Amino acid sequence: MSIYLDYQSAKPLDPRVITAMKPYFYDKFGNPSSLHKVGDNATNVLNDARLAIANFIAAEKNEIIFTSGATESNNLALIGFALRNKNKGNHIIISEIEHISIHNIAKFLTKNGFTISKVPVDQFGKVSIEKIKERINDKTILISIGYANNEIGTIQPIGEIGELCRNKKIAFHSDAVPAEGLLPLDVNKDNLDLLTLSSNDIYGPKGIGALYMRKGIKLNPLIIGGGQEHGLRSGSENIPGIVGMAKAAEIMKIEMTAEAERLSNYRDRLIKEILTNIPKSYLNGHPSRRLPNNAHFRFSGIEGESLLLSLKDKGIAISTGSACSSKTLEPSHTLIATGLLHEEAHGSLQITCGRFTTEKDIDTFLNVIPGVVNKLRKLSPLYKEE
Amino acid sequence: MKSTQYSEKVLDHFRKPRNVGTLEGEDVAVGRVGNPVCGDIMEIYIRVKDDKILDMKFKTFGCGSAIATASMITELAMGKTLEQAMNITRNDVANELNGLPPVKMHCSNLAADALKDAIKNYKSMKKNETGVTQKIEQGIKKLIGEDNFLDKGVFYKIDGYPSFKDKRTIIVDNGDKTAEAAIEISKYTPRVVLVTQLKDLPVKSDLKIKLNKTDVKVLYESKIIEIKGFNTVEKVSIHDLNEDEKYELFVDAILIL
Repeated sequence: MSIYLDYQSAKPLDPRVITAMKPYFYDKFGNPSSLHKVGDNATNVLNDARLAIANFIAAEKNEIIFTSGATESNNLALIGFALRNKNKGNHIIISEIEHISIHNIAKFLTKNGFTISKVPVDQFGKVSIEKIKERINDKTILISIGYANNEIGTIQPIGEIGELCRNKKIAFHSDAVPAEGLLPLDVNKDNLDLLTLSSNDIYGPKGIGALYMRKGIKLNPLIIGGGQEHGLRSGSENIPGIVGMAKAAEIMKIEMTAEAERLSNYRDRLIKEILTNIPKSYLNGHPSRRLPNNAHFRFSGIEGESLLLSLKDKGIAISTGSACSSKTLEPSHTLIATGLLHEEAHGSLQITCGRFTTEKDIDTFLNVIPGVVNKLRKLSPLYKEE
Repeated sequence: MKSTQYSEKVLDHFRKPRNVGTLEGEDVAVGRVGNPVCGDIMEIYIRVKDDKILDMKFKTFGCGSAIATASMITELAMGKTLEQAMNITRNDVANELNGLPPVKMHCSNLAADALKDAIKNYKSMKKNETGVTQKIEQGIKKLIGEDNFLDKGVFYKIDGYPSFKDKRTIIVDNGDKTAEAAIEISKYTPRVVLVTQLKDLPVKSDLKIKLNKTDVKVLYESKIIEIKGFNTVEKVSIHDLNEDEKYELFVDAILIL
């Protein structure tokens, strides 16, 4: 038995994406920069793909830059923007619960003369507009807030933040990866200037991603070479990857509404049954503003890695916010920012469903989890039965 | 190497831990170690007769290796003299388990320390020592940042319990009245933390029972050292006096009565 409930960590390719990509490894291998017919074909393919990604987020075709993935998009958005616009100011605002790439980029920028303010979140992981406003000063050039949190699934008030940024004439970036394929994205409605997209998160191949850049926004390139991608991201285009990402976006655009509804039914069932059937279990994240695929719990008296190992023995793949399973042995910065103590952050369990999750997977998981929790609690000095 | 790449022997002890539980009696001593930041907490119980470990049990909150090392040490130390048991090292435990992932050697290899603590406690029990008297700083000294946030998250009185609705609230222990406040406030917000410098709350037993039925978190042997925020309170620095660790806790309100 093998059940995969860790879609936030990685997703399989949709078989339809593989079919779309196949010709571009051998038959249609051209380089868009070449002037012959093989090259022209590649140029057309690249244009079509760019249009598909633009349509996915209600943007214009020439506002899309292909990158090697979401991490590169975040680097280009923050570092590229900061370097190009430092004459206007050196202050950037992010939140306490950004993806680790944003936090580490912020550390890099701090070492290079920029000032970073981190906005705290409430106990449900939601950023407060008031606390962003407090931190804005006349040196603020960029605000970067993730569309939704990658661990606890809390959806941020992106529309309101976008409006605030537009009024204050501050550029607004959002890493949309966790929300991609689950929530409709519209860069104009939300006043977004920069938006990070990943391919794998919509069941496309790894190693490809995109950055949306509103017309008029200026960035410095980080990868310099032959001037591809409007000079902002040099290097011969990864055509098979780009075709795959575009196909994934086309499929997602059609299927998202139904898929999100199906996943939110699983999510609601997981939350309801776990909170009802397991004493001293708690939901992390927001009770209503949460991604359709995300259920995140903590169980009093239990450590996450031992929970993960026990579930692994039962064939279930899942994530935890526990430090003990991370490289740094630090607990999840997101859970800590919601106000949890270290021991609570260590005891968390993240369930993320996806396109190939079935009702039967949910049944099995719900059957297994109470016994596993019970067994570990018997070992725990922190859990006293009532 | 991944932090969860365990030897078969570690996994065996994790799946079938030996000697789980607690012991009671006049000949029983308990050793407790834990690292609140890393997150492992371990209790080792020993029953001693004629200077030998007659029985041994453990309880562990922690990752796979924390559970396996505790289980392993009960096998290693059972039947040994106190002197022999005292000489069991972290490395001995790790070696018996065919190794631990390097990153876990420090953090989740506390069993030998817990056993040493238990033996030490047994010996001092026999000598009729009462342990170190706890030093408590009196509450007149203000916390760093306290004045900056007065009524902006720092409260000296309760303006109706509902005013704490959905606020992550930390309460500085001051006996029965703060315990009562914690119980009442927990009806309005899921997050109430009561922080005391003592090993046990200095409150009436019926209040303790009531408190246990709520979701109030009690931080023992801990104190707030600094209050931080922008215009309003956003977090506090907490000093764990027992482990001498400092860490931050995100809160919205601090109640000092």
